[in-house]
Amino acid sequence: MSLAITVPSVFRTSPCPRAAESRTTDVSLSLPTAHFGRALRCSTIPNSSIVTGNRAGRLRSIRCLSALDPNLKATLDKVVTSQKIVLFMKGTKDFPQCGFSNTVVQILRSLNSPFETINILENEALRQGLKEYSSWPTFPQLYIDGEFFGGCDITVEAYKSGELQELLERTMCS
Amino acid sequence: MGVTKEQVESSLTSKLNPSHLGCGVVGMGLQGWGEDEEVIDDSGGCGAKFSIVIVAEQFEGKRLLERHRMVNGALVEEMKEIHALSITKAVTPEQWKQQQESEKSQAAA
Repeated sequence: MSLAITVPSVFRTSPCPRAAESRTTDVSLSLPTAHFGRALRCSTIPNSSIVTGNRAGRLRSIRCLSALDPNLKATLDKVVTSQKIVLFMKGTKDFPQCGFSNTVVQILRSLNSPFETINILENEALRQGLKEYSSWPTFPQLYIDGEFFGGCDITVEAYKSGELQELLERTMCS
Repeated sequence: MGVTKEQVESSLTSKLNPSHLGCGVVGMGLQGWGEDEEVIDDSGGCGAKFSIVIVAEQFEGKRLLERHRMVNGALVEEMKEIHALSITKAVTPEQWKQQQESEKSQAAA
């Protein structure tokens, strides 16, 4: 079983995220946005909001995107299958920045399952895109074997019932 | 501003016709509720956190993921302003009855 991480570097979480840094509202602009920057220009954002360079305008535009960008979708298809277990969360495995994300991390840890986490706080386009990609409005979002499994409540319930352990065992052996 | 408990309840009632509905509003800064997550939320407001227990016939034959999707779907407007939604229970009337009974017998034991 190979544990090589093939997540595109644009999604990699920085090794030492500082809370103060990621809590600024500038998240979407201070990131390496080469990929998403391009993706956004291809999308349906009105030109005016980009040329003005108005940050509030841009953030609003990102939120209003109605269709998932095909480039982002293709990338996410790859990311969710890059590992057997992929968790999109607020913060990182070692520094969760939300109680719900932390709960899922603790559950996965307790089951000794190798998993990859992606910090959605570091990329606003990713964060918004994932809500559509998964048809799920909140984070964390857990993917098992390329399939959306659920958010925190579902993961907790499946853990309590033993269903999660079973699924993970099956998945890791496949 | 923000979404009230009444709005959440009325949306759920009209869309999912629950036989039992419990909707709790959890205050800000409560332990164990991911109190730090609102700080960077892009809605910029100060929304409430809701915790829901819902019993509905419509959940029959649906997986938990689908049940949660139904609740999320019923609250699509409210979700824009809700910061955290916890669906503690989404069960069918049959399951609800069983759970109530097993709780009772546990309490009696």
